[in-house]
Amino acid sequence: MFRSLQRRIVIVFVGLLTLVMALILVLVTHNNGRIVDSEMARELEAGTHVFKLLVEQNQRQLETAARVLSADFAFREAIATQDRPTIQSVIRNHGLRIGAQAMMVISPDGQLIADTQHAAAGPRPFPFQSLLSVAESQGKSNGFGQMRDGKLYQIILVPVQAPKLIAWVAIGFLADDKWARDLYGMTGLAVSVVQRSGANSLVLSSSLDGPKRIALPAALRQLPNDSPQALQIADESWQSVRLPLDRDTSVVLQRSIEQAEAPYRSLQKILWSIVLAGIVIFALGSVMLARRIVKPVNQLAAAARRIEAGDYAEPVPSLPPDEIGQLATSFDRMRERVASREQKILKLAYQDTLTGLANRTRLFEAFEQLPANSRGAIAILNLDRFALINNALGHPVGDRLLSEIGSRLSHLLSNTDLVARLWGDEFAFLLADVDREAATRFAESILANLREPVTVDGQRLDVGASLGLALYPQDGHDAATLLRRAEFAMVAAKRQHKNMAFAGDIGDGPQHEQLSLIGEMREAIARQQFLVYYQPKLDLASGKITGAEALIRWRHPERGLIPPIRFIPFAEQTGFIREITPWLLENVIAQTARWQEQGLSIVPSINLSALDLLDPGLIDHVRRLIDAHGLKASRICLEITESALMEDPTLALAHLDQLAALGLKLSIDDYGVGQASLAYLKTLPVHELKIDRAFVDGVADSPRNAAIVQSTIALCHALGLSVVAEGVETSNELDWLASHQCDIAQGYFIARPMPADELPHWIASYGVPETAAAQEDKEGVAEAQ
Amino acid sequence: MTRFHAVCLATLLAFSGPLWAGSLEAYVATQAGTPVGDAAVVVEPIPGFVPGNRAMAAIEQRDRELNPYLTIVQKGTAIEFPNRDPFKHHLYSFSPAKTFEIKLYAGKPVQPIVFDKAGEVALGCNVHDWMEAYVLVVDSPYFAKTASNGRAVIANVPPGRYRLRLWHPRQKKELPPREIGIGAAPAKLDLVMDVAPRIAKPRPPADSDQY
Repeated sequence: MFRSLQRRIVIVFVGLLTLVMALILVLVTHNNGRIVDSEMARELEAGTHVFKLLVEQNQRQLETAARVLSADFAFREAIATQDRPTIQSVIRNHGLRIGAQAMMVISPDGQLIADTQHAAAGPRPFPFQSLLSVAESQGKSNGFGQMRDGKLYQIILVPVQAPKLIAWVAIGFLADDKWARDLYGMTGLAVSVVQRSGANSLVLSSSLDGPKRIALPAALRQLPNDSPQALQIADESWQSVRLPLDRDTSVVLQRSIEQAEAPYRSLQKILWSIVLAGIVIFALGSVMLARRIVKPVNQLAAAARRIEAGDYAEPVPSLPPDEIGQLATSFDRMRERVASREQKILKLAYQDTLTGLANRTRLFEAFEQLPANSRGAIAILNLDRFALINNALGHPVGDRLLSEIGSRLSHLLSNTDLVARLWGDEFAFLLADVDREAATRFAESILANLREPVTVDGQRLDVGASLGLALYPQDGHDAATLLRRAEFAMVAAKRQHKNMAFAGDIGDGPQHEQLSLIGEMREAIARQQFLVYYQPKLDLASGKITGAEALIRWRHPERGLIPPIRFIPFAEQTGFIREITPWLLENVIAQTARWQEQGLSIVPSINLSALDLLDPGLIDHVRRLIDAHGLKASRICLEITESALMEDPTLALAHLDQLAALGLKLSIDDYGVGQASLAYLKTLPVHELKIDRAFVDGVADSPRNAAIVQSTIALCHALGLSVVAEGVETSNELDWLASHQCDIAQGYFIARPMPADELPHWIASYGVPETAAAQEDKEGVAEAQ
Repeated sequence: MTRFHAVCLATLLAFSGPLWAGSLEAYVATQAGTPVGDAAVVVEPIPGFVPGNRAMAAIEQRDRELNPYLTIVQKGTAIEFPNRDPFKHHLYSFSPAKTFEIKLYAGKPVQPIVFDKAGEVALGCNVHDWMEAYVLVVDSPYFAKTASNGRAVIANVPPGRYRLRLWHPRQKKELPPREIGIGAAPAKLDLVMDVAPRIAKPRPPADSDQY
């Protein structure tokens, strides 16, 4: 019930008001009671006082009138002469004069001489002897008395003197209901004269009438003399006091308690209506106020809930400019800031800042949002020769190239597809709902588009790319797996000098094998599982085997012989290559030294990866090995791919210079695949260049390849480099190479890679013209040993 | 005795007609012993000759008072009522012994009033209610009025038997007469009577009348 702020405000306001009003009411009621009581007492006292004064005053006036009458000469004369008829008529006449209703003349000895009440009377004693005796001692007297007619009179007794007392005159004024009502009008008190008769009281006159008058005698039984008390008369309470007149007669003065309370009751009524009206008004007012307070708060709360739910679009309603309005304004600003910040964060989180494309995270998320059981493909695109451009033209150009390519790629996409930049020059596509054919078409369209040169800062740049594709659900169910497999496919495509490859084509489940291989490579060195095979290199001019490329093999206890393509890329990626290469160098140099001792003069070629080339410890290591085995540095050849040079050209070049300075023979491997130009290679301290097998393949039949190879040979020779052709697989190729002054050939046609211990025998048996000489050398060496 | 009595005797002898005449000295007091003034002490011979003593008497009106308060006269005496005030009075009596009325007059009335009937007469003034005086008309020439010390002396009373009457305007009850004998020697009587105090009737200040 108290959970709503609005209700709480209303309840607190109205509750407080009610409390205050209740206190006021209680106080006023209590005080009114006290005031009424004291007013009552005061009014009764004052009324009694006024009553006494009035009666006394009245008495004095009556007395004065009586005295004037008694002093009247004719009156006195009539009395003095004892002339009863005269006296009788005189008192009637004089009674009229002063407005008295009853008159009596009494002889000094207390006998009635004349009486207006009873004309034809014989001598009787005066009925109010007590008045007479008071008058005898005090010269006058007064009091109340009932005359023969049963009515109550106020009686004044004064002497008639001539000048000696000759008679008393009693003058009676009716103290009837009218008299009582007049007194009531002046005193504010009900006036009743009651006479005790036995146990009961008789009302002689009263300002009360009706049932009250009837009920009065019964009530009066409880009223003592002289002390005020409340009496219940005909459903009304009266504060009453009794003033005794004589032994049996008394005046009862009464004040109606209800009447006295009436003004306070009406005040109380007014107060009650004010209280009730106040509570109603307050309740309405506080409801309105609470609404005014709560409504904007609710609006704010609703806005807060919207924002909590991530809906930043709807502005917070603008409110009157009070505190809540200010809060709303701040809140709205907060909403805008949060919205813009969230946008920024989302951008940072999901967007590649350079190209504006999605990033890897976004791609993963998009994949997660694909419906279950959907099919599609993930493609990875890697630019060819990007490192070269980056190095040659600077990072800003490289960055602009990437962003230009990103923009091109994004234009090629359909709405359901997504392109993301993963890192460097690698992009990924999420192709929804495609099969292999559609994916192939898409890849081809991408590649076709990228064949168009890109113009950056006025330079036309030729950009090639390789694509690897992984299909789902065939090649994997999660984005990470699919990306990895697509990447393998891309690497494989690059390695095979193809534009694109599908993960499904380059081996089933290689990912698991590769993962475990990487883990097992470390053990492989310790357990001597790595072997070195040598592929002979034929010097075409002499027809002799002058060198051999050292190729590492892994004889896995369970999987058998594993070709380098299956684990070297991962060794390079994981950095494990830096343990393999020293082992290889040691092994090969030791073998070379052994061969040399056997008289076999072979220059081994050892492949260095980019990591090896950048390893500053490599040079010392090589030098120590050469020194240790007493070999000439020129008897060792190191093969470096163009791409290895491109990772950090400056450092690579510095290391190459140092290696060259040692006297080592340096060879550029896989020439033609990368971006390196001959002009660039010319600046390197290399001695040999190996033309990639892609160019050698079919050189005898492909005029284009032939032209490339031929011109390369010519140029190399012009630069003082010897040329090695690898991948020679036919006699035609070998003949072509031999006839075009290629210096050295290598390939299956000559020999497959073979274990070290087979090489001397193979060399010995290779070629007729050379065999003798070789045999001689061999024997010579053997004899020397 | 000796000197005082000698002087008294000498005085009695000097004023009385017959040499053998006696006198009565009365002392009137209340029961409580307070001397009573203005009490009439009258002795009436039983039966006998009442000598005439019809001297004029006067009750004057001065300063809105009748003076003297009590006048004792022998039956048949005329009393003059000279008005010494600068305004008029209206004397009246409703007493049965002598009812009369002298309507508003100034100075001396034309004729004195003759009180020819024994009895008491209350006099009042109709225009000044507080004015009052009393005349006791007696059938004897031997009477006296007590002074404020309660003493009264009746001289020249021939020895014999007399009816002694004591009267006062404010007496509470009529005292029965008693017989006394008066000889040559002066008689002394202590008399007791109850008298109401004289209540001063309200009177306006004198100067108010000048208006």
